[in-house]
Amino acid sequence: MEQLFILTLDASNFILAIILVAMGLVIIFGLMNVINMAHGELFLLGAYTVVMVERLGGSYWLGLVLAPLAVGLVGLIVEELVVRHVYHRFLDTILATWGLSIAIKQAVVVAFGPASHTVSSPIAASIEIFGAPYPAYRLFIMAVALLVIAVTFWLFFRTAFGLAARGVIANRDMAACLGINTRRLDRATFAYGAALAGLAGAVMAPIMSVDPQMGLGFLIPAFLSILVGGAGHLAGPLLGAAAIGGTDTLAANLWSPVVAQIVVFTMAIVVIRLFPRGLAGRWFGG
Amino acid sequence: MVAGSSLGAFAMTSRAPSRLLLVNLAVWGALALAPLGLGAWQVGQLAQYFTYGLFAMSLALIWGHCGLLCFGQAVFFGIGGYAMSLVTLGMVPGLEAAPSSYLGVLCAVLLPAGFANLLGRFLFYGKGLQGAYFAIVTLAIAVVAERLAINWAYIGGLNGLMNVPPMNLGLLGGGTEIWDSVPVYYLTLALVFAVYLLLEALTRSRYGIVLRAIRDNQDRTGYFGYDTAGYKLTAFTLGAGVAGLAGALFVTQFNFASPPLIGFTLSTEVLIWVALGGRTLPLAAFLGAILVRSVENVLSETLGTYWLLALGLLFVLSVVLFPRGLIGEIIHRLTAPRRGVVGRNAKPP
Amino acid sequence: MLSVAGLEAGYRGSRVLNGLDLEVAEGTVAALLGRNGMGKTTLMRALMGLVTVSAGRIVFRGRDTAGLRPYTIAKLGIAYVPQGREIFADFTVEENLRLGLVGRPGGARRVPAAAYRHFPVLAERRGQRAGTLSGGEQQQLAIARALVGQPRLLLLDEPSEGIQPSIVLQIAASLKQIAAEEGLTVLLVEQNVEMVLSLAADCAFIENGRVAARHAAAELRGDAAILHRYLAV
Repeated sequence: MEQLFILTLDASNFILAIILVAMGLVIIFGLMNVINMAHGELFLLGAYTVVMVERLGGSYWLGLVLAPLAVGLVGLIVEELVVRHVYHRFLDTILATWGLSIAIKQAVVVAFGPASHTVSSPIAASIEIFGAPYPAYRLFIMAVALLVIAVTFWLFFRTAFGLAARGVIANRDMAACLGINTRRLDRATFAYGAALAGLAGAVMAPIMSVDPQMGLGFLIPAFLSILVGGAGHLAGPLLGAAAIGGTDTLAANLWSPVVAQIVVFTMAIVVIRLFPRGLAGRWFGG
Repeated sequence: MVAGSSLGAFAMTSRAPSRLLLVNLAVWGALALAPLGLGAWQVGQLAQYFTYGLFAMSLALIWGHCGLLCFGQAVFFGIGGYAMSLVTLGMVPGLEAAPSSYLGVLCAVLLPAGFANLLGRFLFYGKGLQGAYFAIVTLAIAVVAERLAINWAYIGGLNGLMNVPPMNLGLLGGGTEIWDSVPVYYLTLALVFAVYLLLEALTRSRYGIVLRAIRDNQDRTGYFGYDTAGYKLTAFTLGAGVAGLAGALFVTQFNFASPPLIGFTLSTEVLIWVALGGRTLPLAAFLGAILVRSVENVLSETLGTYWLLALGLLFVLSVVLFPRGLIGEIIHRLTAPRRGVVGRNAKPP
Repeated sequence: MLSVAGLEAGYRGSRVLNGLDLEVAEGTVAALLGRNGMGKTTLMRALMGLVTVSAGRIVFRGRDTAGLRPYTIAKLGIAYVPQGREIFADFTVEENLRLGLVGRPGGARRVPAAAYRHFPVLAERRGQRAGTLSGGEQQQLAIARALVGQPRLLLLDEPSEGIQPSIVLQIAASLKQIAAEEGLTVLLVEQNVEMVLSLAADCAFIENGRVAARHAAAELRGDAAILHRYLAV
């Protein structure tokens, strides 16, 4: 029973972490039709922001606050310099952002070296759950992820900005003809998506090895989650991440992490092929 | 652009071939004469780059001509490399006595082609996967393939297969081994050139025109009555076969096969070579691979970690400013008639 | 109010407008007629900034709008009801109307009651998904969405297309009333001659990407030959 509970907690942890990364991806994809292959590196930059802040004597919490701001700014710059020039050439956005991901990763190697860094957990306490200790920081991560999901949904479904953004997603030209500034919206959306990735990186830094390769490990599960869940719907990544993260945790416990990855990726490919609009597209229509 | 307009454009290029022929003569002539002016080590190096160039051509076929942005092309390269290694090392049950290079090459072409064919049947038919979905799915396949290779003891696991023999002229192995750099060079060049001619003929044919029509607008090409999934499937299969051949040549020159050959990193590297070279011309893709490899060889020493940073930025720049690729752009400027021609080397949409 | 001179525009590889000239006076309803493929919709899209203008000038209230982005043009006071309506099918009727407002200065959060005045059916269906409306209701929604932003010039492309005749007349009547009450200037592209004659004072005939002739609506009522010359296939 306890074990099942801990397993569920672990799965939820992984699922929510994927959602943190996938949320930004799906927003950028939905609005701008851009597959942002550099998203994993934005995640990476978030984690390294914390490393840098701590190096300069700041606290983890300061790093956590600065990471989304700094990475959001990087997003703005990237959008202005690269993405806006290719966003009408769909496949090229994949390539251009892929090139960016190489450049960012390598810039991090140049600045911080290839070795891994550790960020010590700012909340060292454990909480007893059914008699077994569970790190409190992991619960904090889950709380942050839930908060981000709530804020994003609120932003998109309850504000004028969200209405405009959804209008652009549904019909870009018509939205522009109604006076909606699509340029500004693209910029804002890309920056917001980048900021979410930066926040995710900062939040996950204490429980991961912070090294230049850490982005990729999250990028692929996040992408698969979006495709499995459905790229056309904000709820897509929630469903997809639940499927991907849940299966992964379960398979890793039953067999090994390697088998888990193979099982999950293969399963995802089959689901994507059978339901190109994703689980959300299948269940919610639209 | 519809099938019709591509057809019309193709007819317009008929004035250009003379200049394109000159470019081809210059490139292949220079490559044929290169060993005369280079040291043995450099000749060997260049022969190795040819295998990358061949690999790049396979991607240019399916990406540049068919619009299939494949993030897992190294899977086919790797299967080819491992197949060649297993056969020539005599590790295949029942074939231990015949470590034939011919059989190895045959397997290295047919296995990846067969795998691609099965995969393509699954991915292209019915609702079919397109664009980004195809890219991400192939990316996931590359990651899975590398994981499998690392964890499969029979093919050497993490270390891979060592001591893969060079090409052997004996029908069942045991004949003359081709070790020296100059014969290796010319053998590789001859094979690469043969494949190049095949791909050129293919992309100039009616079949190639339909492929590009699918790339530019799959739905409309479908309305014209073409079996678009079938065309994509044959191109994907053929591309995988060529990539497998490149993998086979690679292992005979480097004498090992290891998991990175089949994985994600090499898959993305070949994308960069092709993007920088030029995705719509096999020649540009081929030269792109050789160019990037050569420059890397020189610059990675002096620039160290900055080299990859520079390559990444150059790649971004090239994608944004020169969708034809750097070499493709040069060839286009050299050969295109004054008015921009919508042909094989047209700007990808 | 709107003055187009020597306008050239088109799509990749083919030019559709070949030096088009057109004047629309403030507070009038002008109609644009012509056979299919002559460039009517392209003109509308060019005025809206959706098609790249390669030569010529578009002056709206003293400002050259050629080359501006659609949202800038919209903010200057031009509203567009495209062919096929292009309402946001997955959004509610009210959200569609709010989308007509969010881009405006102030970006009012609530749809003013006045927006429903001419189209009471929309008030009834306020919370319904726009995709579930009938063709005529969708057309009214598209017009209302264009009008909530209080534009100076309304571009209407084929408002009668695919709508049953009784509703067409009803829409025409509403439009006439709105134009009269608010002093709105309208440029109308329409195949339905009846609707054109009931609304417009002034008709321009477009042929091969330029205006071939202009006639007052009154002239056309008496002379079927003109219509025949420019519209018969």
